[in-house]
Amino acid sequence: MQELDLLMNGFAALLHQPFALLLSVVGVAVGIVIGAMPGLTATMGVAILLPFTFGMDPVSGLLMISGVFFGGIYGGSITAILLKIPGTPAAAATAIDGFELTRQGKAGIALGTATFSSFIGGTLSIIVLVFMAPLLASVALEFSASETFALAVFGLSIIASISGESLVKGLIAGFVGLLISTVGLDPMGGFPRFTGGFTELMSVPFIPVMIGLFAAAEAFKAMEESGVLKNKAAALGRIIPPWSSYKRMLGTVLRSTGLGIFIGAIPGAGADIAAFVSYNEAKRFSKTPENFGKGELSAVAACESGANGCTGGALLPMLTLGIPGDAVTAVMLGALTLQGLQPGPLLFKEHSDLVFTLFAGMLFCYVVMLIMGLGCLRFMGKILQMPKSILTPAILALCVVGTYAINNSMFDIGIMLIAGVIGYFMQKWDFPPSPIVLALIMGPMAESSFRRALSLSSGSYDFLYTRPITAAFLLIALSTLFYPVFRRYQKKRQQRGLQLAAENGAA
Amino acid sequence: MKSQKLIARLLTAVCASSLLLGASAHAADYPTKQVEVIVPFAAGGGTDLVTRAFADAAKKYLPKPMGVVNKTGGGGAVGLSEIVTARPDGYKIGTGTVEIAMLPHMGLVQFTTDDFTPIARLNAEPSAISVKADAPWNSYEEFMAYAKANPGKVRIGNSGTGAIWHLAAEALADKTGTKFNHIPYDGANPAVTALLGGHIEAVTVSPAEVVSHVAAGKIKLLAVMADQRQAGFDKVPTLKEKGVDLTIMTWRGIVAPKKTPKDVQEALRAAAKKTAEDPAFKESLAKMNLSHAYLDGPAFKVAMDKDNAFFKALMTKLGIAK
Repeated sequence: MQELDLLMNGFAALLHQPFALLLSVVGVAVGIVIGAMPGLTATMGVAILLPFTFGMDPVSGLLMISGVFFGGIYGGSITAILLKIPGTPAAAATAIDGFELTRQGKAGIALGTATFSSFIGGTLSIIVLVFMAPLLASVALEFSASETFALAVFGLSIIASISGESLVKGLIAGFVGLLISTVGLDPMGGFPRFTGGFTELMSVPFIPVMIGLFAAAEAFKAMEESGVLKNKAAALGRIIPPWSSYKRMLGTVLRSTGLGIFIGAIPGAGADIAAFVSYNEAKRFSKTPENFGKGELSAVAACESGANGCTGGALLPMLTLGIPGDAVTAVMLGALTLQGLQPGPLLFKEHSDLVFTLFAGMLFCYVVMLIMGLGCLRFMGKILQMPKSILTPAILALCVVGTYAINNSMFDIGIMLIAGVIGYFMQKWDFPPSPIVLALIMGPMAESSFRRALSLSSGSYDFLYTRPITAAFLLIALSTLFYPVFRRYQKKRQQRGLQLAAENGAA
Repeated sequence: MKSQKLIARLLTAVCASSLLLGASAHAADYPTKQVEVIVPFAAGGGTDLVTRAFADAAKKYLPKPMGVVNKTGGGGAVGLSEIVTARPDGYKIGTGTVEIAMLPHMGLVQFTTDDFTPIARLNAEPSAISVKADAPWNSYEEFMAYAKANPGKVRIGNSGTGAIWHLAAEALADKTGTKFNHIPYDGANPAVTALLGGHIEAVTVSPAEVVSHVAAGKIKLLAVMADQRQAGFDKVPTLKEKGVDLTIMTWRGIVAPKKTPKDVQEALRAAAKKTAEDPAFKESLAKMNLSHAYLDGPAFKVAMDKDNAFFKALMTKLGIAK
C-alpha cells in the first residue's frame, strides 16, 4: 500500500497550498457553468482556461483544469434534467429519463441522484486511477482500429434501447443520423463529401445538430403553450434521494462507473459514449426495463456515474503512457507538457510527490463538486418557476450563443436552427432525437475505424472474427439490437398462451 | 427634458469619439484597437499554443493586445479562408500553417498561397521516421532494407490523408522507390498511440510529437527529414546525411490578408520580430518541445513558395491534387 502513503502525503502537501485549493474550487464552479451551457463543453472549457495556467505552479494550474473537466462533465446534467437541454454530449443520455422525471415533478430527486452518482462515479474512478493505473493502462494500447470499430457498432446498437415506444422510428432516426454523419471530409481519402461547396461543412457539425434537436426543438414546442409551467413540473421536490431508494441503484452506479473507467481509458472514446453504454447496460440488467425512457431514476444514475467514471479512466492512459483517453485529456496533455511534466512512465518515478498531490486534489475537486452541486440545486430549480415567456426566449438565446461559441461561426447557428425545426416535427410525430445524436457520435467512429482496420489488414476481413475483443463487442451489439425484438416476440407468445388458456378454460 | 439633454450629450460624445477614432485610424498609429488572430485549428493544439504564446509575448511590443480566435474545420480550410477574406486593415490576421501550401492543390479552398502576406514564421517541425523501441530496425538503412524487401508490408501511420505527415511518408516512398501501406489517423496523437500498441510499424510525425515516448524508451527515431540535426535529438541523422535529398517541415507563422497596407505590414513585422526574439516566447516554445524557427516576412515568403511548388508537384504525382 505504498500508494496509500503517497496519497496521504499528497493530502498533507495539498493542505499547505491554499491557492491550489482555491483554484480547484474556482475550476469546479467554472466547469459546472460551462457544462450546463449548451455548446460549451468540458473540452472547450479546459482549452479556454489553459492559457491562464501558464503562469501558475503545476499543482494549482492542473487542479483548476481538472476541476473544469469534472465540473463540466457533471454540469451538463443539470440543464439536461431541468430543461431537456444537454449541456454536453454526454448529458444527451441523461436527458432521456431526466427530463421525464422533471415532467413528473421529480426534478429535485433526479438532480440529486445525478449529483450523487457523478460524485461516486468520479471519486471511484480517481481511486482506481491511484491504485490500479499501470494495470489498466495496457487496455488502451490493446485497442486498435478493429476494436474501436466494434465498440462503435456496439454503441450504434444502443439505438434499440433508447428508441422509446417504437423501435422502427428509433431506427429511422438513427439512420438519418448516420446519413448526416457522412457529410464532411472523407476520413480516409480526405476529399469532401456532400458539402455542397461549403468549407464549413467539411467537419460534421455535430454539436449544433444536438443543440438544435434537443434545446431549440424544446423551445419551439414551448412556444405553443403559453403561461407558466404550472402544476407538478414546477415543483422541485426533495433533492437528496432517500437512502432506501438509492441503495437499490448502487449496483447500477458501480457497474456504470466500471464501464465509464474502461471506456474512458480507450483512446478516442469519451464521456458521451460511456453515458450511452451505461444507460444501455442499466436497462439490460434492470428488473423493469419497460420504465426506461419514461422517467427511470436509475437511468439518470447510470448515465451520470458512467460519464464521470470516464474522467479517471481518461486520465489513466494519459498520465501513465502519455496517451490521451479522450478529447479533454488531449488538451490536458498540453497543459502538463507546458508545466515541464512529461506524461508517461517517468512521470510517476520522477515526480511522484506532485502526481499524488494532484490525485489528492482531484478527490478534493469531486468533494467540492458534490457540495457545490447540492448547494446550487435549489437555486437552479428556480428555473422551473420562471414564466415561459421569459424562459423560452432565454433558452433560444442560449442556443444561439452556445452554438456560435463552438467555432465562432454563423453558419453553425443556421444548422442549429434547421435542426431545431426538424427536431420540433420529430417530437410532434414521436421520433426520438437521441438516436440521431448517438449516430452522429458513433457513425464517423465506426466508418473511419472500419476502413482503417481494413487497410491495416491489407484488405482482409479476418479482423472481424479473429480478434477476441472485436468479436465479443460485435456479439454484444447483435444481442442488444435483437433483444427488444425477442422480448416483444416472447410477450406476444405469453399473451397468446394466456388467451389460449382462457379459451380452453371457457370451453 | 432632462433625459433629452442627456441623450443629446451622449450623441455628441459618440459623434466626437467616432471622429477622433476615425482620425486615429491612420495606419501610422496602428494598432488602435485589438488585433484579432485567427487560429485555423482547435484550442489546445500545437498551432493554438504557439499563437497564444506569441500573443502573450507580443503584449510588450504592441500598444494593443492580440486576441486569439479559433476557427476550426476542414483541416484548417475554414480558418485559413477566413484570414484571406478578412478586411485587409491589419485588425484581423492569423496563424498560417503549412496547409497554405497544400490545400489549394486539393481543390478544397478558394485561395492560393499568394493570397497571404507572410509576416513572420515562428516555428517549424520536420517529419521524423519513428518506430517502436523494440522494433528489429536500429537504423534508417535497416528499416528501408526491410521495407524494400517487403513492399506494402510496412504500415506507416499519419495524421490524415493529404495532411503533412502523409505527404512526408509518400515523398519518402517516392524518393526511394519503396512501397508503404499508409494508414491515416485523426491527427498525429492517435497515430502515435497505434504505434505504441504495435498496430503499425512506423509513424512520420514530428519529433516533438513523440518526444515523451522517446524519453520513456518506448519509441526510437531513425531519421529526421530536416536540413540539420534537431536540437535534443543530436544522434538522429538527417535524410540528407543518408543520401536522400528530402526536407519536409510543418510550419506556423503569422500571416495577413494579401492587400494589407505596407505600413501596417511593417508595423506587424517589427513587432513580430521583437516578440519572436523575446526570451519569454522562446521559453514557452522550449517548454512545449517546439523548435524556434523565426523567419522574417520576405524569407518566410520564399520558404512558403518553395513548399507550394514542392507540394504541388508531389500531390499531382500522387493523384491527390485536383
